[in-house]
Amino acid sequence: MAKIEIEIDGKMVRAKPGEMLISVTDREGISVPRFCYHKKLSVAASCRMCLVDVEGAPKPQPACSTPISEGMKIHTQNEKSKSSQKAVMEFLLINHPLDCPICDQGGECELQDVAVEYGSDVSCFSEGKRIVADNDIGPLIQTDMTRCIHCTRCVRFGAEIAGIMEMGGTGRGDHLKIEPFLTEGVTSELSGNMIDVCPVGALTSKPFRYELRSWQMNSTSTIARHDLVGSNINAQTYKGNVKRVVSGDNDAVNETWISDRDRFSYEGLSHENRLLEPQIKIEGQWKEVGWHVALDYAVKGLTSNILNNHQSDQLGVMASKTSTVEEFYLLQKIAREIGSENIDYRLNIKNLDNTAKLESNIKLGGLEGVDHALIVGSNPRLEQPMINHRLRKASLNGTSVDVINSMKFDFNYQLNSENIIAPNQIASTLAGVLSSVLASVSIELPDYLQSIKVSKESASIAEKLNNSDNSVIVLGEHVVNAENSATIVNLIAQIAKHTNSTTLNLSTTANSLAAELTGFVPGSKGMNVNAMLESDLKAYILLDIYPEYDFHHADKAIDALNDKDNFVISLNGFKNDIVSEYSDVILPIAAFYETSGTHININGDMQSFAASVVAPGESKPAWKVFKVLADLLKLPGFNYVDSTQITEEVSHQAHNNHLHNENIDLSITSDNINIIWQQSPYSIDALLRHSGSLQQTKIGKLNFAYMNASVAKDLGVSADSKYLGVPVVITDAVADRCVFVNANKATQTGGES
Amino acid sequence: MISDQAKKQIDAWVAKYPEDRKSSAVMEALKIVQAENDNSLSAESIQDVADYLGMPGIAAAEVATFYENYNHKPVGKHVIRFCHNISCMLNGSDDLISHLEDKLGVKTGEVTKDGLISVKKVECLGACVGAPMFQIGDQYYENLTAEKIDEIVDGLK
Repeated sequence: MAKIEIEIDGKMVRAKPGEMLISVTDREGISVPRFCYHKKLSVAASCRMCLVDVEGAPKPQPACSTPISEGMKIHTQNEKSKSSQKAVMEFLLINHPLDCPICDQGGECELQDVAVEYGSDVSCFSEGKRIVADNDIGPLIQTDMTRCIHCTRCVRFGAEIAGIMEMGGTGRGDHLKIEPFLTEGVTSELSGNMIDVCPVGALTSKPFRYELRSWQMNSTSTIARHDLVGSNINAQTYKGNVKRVVSGDNDAVNETWISDRDRFSYEGLSHENRLLEPQIKIEGQWKEVGWHVALDYAVKGLTSNILNNHQSDQLGVMASKTSTVEEFYLLQKIAREIGSENIDYRLNIKNLDNTAKLESNIKLGGLEGVDHALIVGSNPRLEQPMINHRLRKASLNGTSVDVINSMKFDFNYQLNSENIIAPNQIASTLAGVLSSVLASVSIELPDYLQSIKVSKESASIAEKLNNSDNSVIVLGEHVVNAENSATIVNLIAQIAKHTNSTTLNLSTTANSLAAELTGFVPGSKGMNVNAMLESDLKAYILLDIYPEYDFHHADKAIDALNDKDNFVISLNGFKNDIVSEYSDVILPIAAFYETSGTHININGDMQSFAASVVAPGESKPAWKVFKVLADLLKLPGFNYVDSTQITEEVSHQAHNNHLHNENIDLSITSDNINIIWQQSPYSIDALLRHSGSLQQTKIGKLNFAYMNASVAKDLGVSADSKYLGVPVVITDAVADRCVFVNANKATQTGGES
Repeated sequence: MISDQAKKQIDAWVAKYPEDRKSSAVMEALKIVQAENDNSLSAESIQDVADYLGMPGIAAAEVATFYENYNHKPVGKHVIRFCHNISCMLNGSDDLISHLEDKLGVKTGEVTKDGLISVKKVECLGACVGAPMFQIGDQYYENLTAEKIDEIVDGLK
């Protein structure tokens, strides 16, 4: 659209017709005060703070809701603007308490700043101020609603961004209150953003309450590593501790929002369970020692157990999927230099002999532009909150969404269809879709589809994909351990190919894309994690692994690692009894925020970050530990002084991927009960499990095995009993012949099935 | 719980709006449910209405708490809705409300012991020409004086 010219404060400015005045002044660096306006929320025009003088208009106009037109002349600094801004400020302060000295927002308060610049030092109002009673709205957000100026940013955030309207304005006039209604408070997975959008001290961070003033802290920008997005965040630190995390702006990644998981996980850093000293086990007794002693002991152990016997292929290395690019790269490099290709990070996958590959070929921004989405086996809202946010935006713009899941989830957007079926049947449904797709483009059906009967549901899913110019198929976590997961993945790849759909693979999270890129996977002569655990290996190096949470076969893994003859070097951030039992050396390592590194997100962006704080006690960044360990083992090529040198090296040698299976086998139609086992969203890594406030939330307390009554009967459990150590919930929301487990605790049986 | 009878009435209102705007019927729905529950709305019944219309509970609560037509506490058989906005106030409504409270022995917002009458202060009812005024049921009573109030209240059964 052709641009038009308007005049602001005597300066000619070009802008798009219809653009709101405030976005033009913001772009031009002209300061207009505001409270209710937020660039990512709808316009409310309720605070009236942004009144400016528009020539020709009898009264001052709010810049946030005044669309510009050709030849408009605007004065933001003249007497008329100034006096109306001053008057509005006086009104806003009528009921606002003068409690800045005890208010957490003090020093970073928009009301304070604007009052200083635009307010007056006296007020005509001398009557009493109103007081508003507070509700406890949950463990993350502290309310002081007497301070609320009714800008409704939090209300609009809930309704428009979080997708569940939890806050609202009740009452009218001076009885207006912003509050939640009849709920357990605010439970959204994005709720912390309400703290960021609140311009005053009405909504502040509960864990941060009365801790510090904003000006006492240093702020470092860094990257959140709990999901596939790598949200840009700012860690605010004081005397070497992370005190608070706020969102950073990056339109290509997280826009300006972050999930609660990314915002509050820092609390785990100061947990009493942190591992602070290197330890070695001598004759069954743990002894805290210095780094030199511990590393020498580790090298000696590796030497006597494998190197001296020329059994270098007896080394196994494993890492948590939250590790950084540099950590993955160095650990696999150590293994390969020693001569072992037993390398793996896919600890929670039941069957690794038969994996299929689905690439992600759509970017986060691109998701908003699709016109149809098919989601298979995912609850994106809790698993990948920021990706779900993009899907929600698309949906609000008219994108239709079909879902094939094994349980009904609480989507925060409209679904076109929701097909709730057990993983075993997902393959046949998708085969029906493929068959229907191929028929419509007149491609001859391959043999495996000949006997497939196309159900009504499959036909309608196929029709949606066929009729769409720009569709995406999203694969989630729930099918990775299904008996026929490879078939499901390959069917999706085929459907995508024939419908020109893009694909988005959310089946593995955190920094697992980095593991793939750095070659942290078994080499051609190497073993995968399940094979390693069955092979009585002589030595292991384990990076940040907590077996009772991380392994699919937790019992089997713990047994294998406990073998008397092996030598286990564990690098952990937190103390763990099971780790202590099987390890011979435990090295304390830096957690999130304490190490430099790189995260790779679903866009393929390699986002590097520096350490925000120094690791506590004797703990060190894992990449440094690996570097020194490699030096002590006299391995060549570890002359790094800075983690960025490692990053540089990684980007020059993308590793070849392991082999993938492309078979489609529709013969697996067992009638077994399918178990979908998932760590609940706030317990997917050690830092989250140690974050007190997150664990108190409704999502943090998710620890249920959902099943319907007939499955419960078959399994011999009831609503007040436990299944695999997890409390049973009987509900029709789960597909028949299927148990869906969200566990936030370790269990003896782990994901065994 | 909303009775089937009430649901039928609500459905008639829902039918007047586009299919995806069921929440447009919220005011009438609240009114219907209120009438069914001794003329007052509990938080649970507001949530029931919201669930029935497929809208967030808080959105229904915003409406229910904004308008004076909805009662959130038990009320008497007759609700005296006394206007206290500017015209009525200038014409002495404050004193008349005190008079009424004294006469009934209750404060605004309360119900008389026999459950017959409750008093509620409301916003402008659009009858400034006859200020001060109040409303009982569908009836407006204008140009009120203490004597006139006594007479009206004594006549309530």
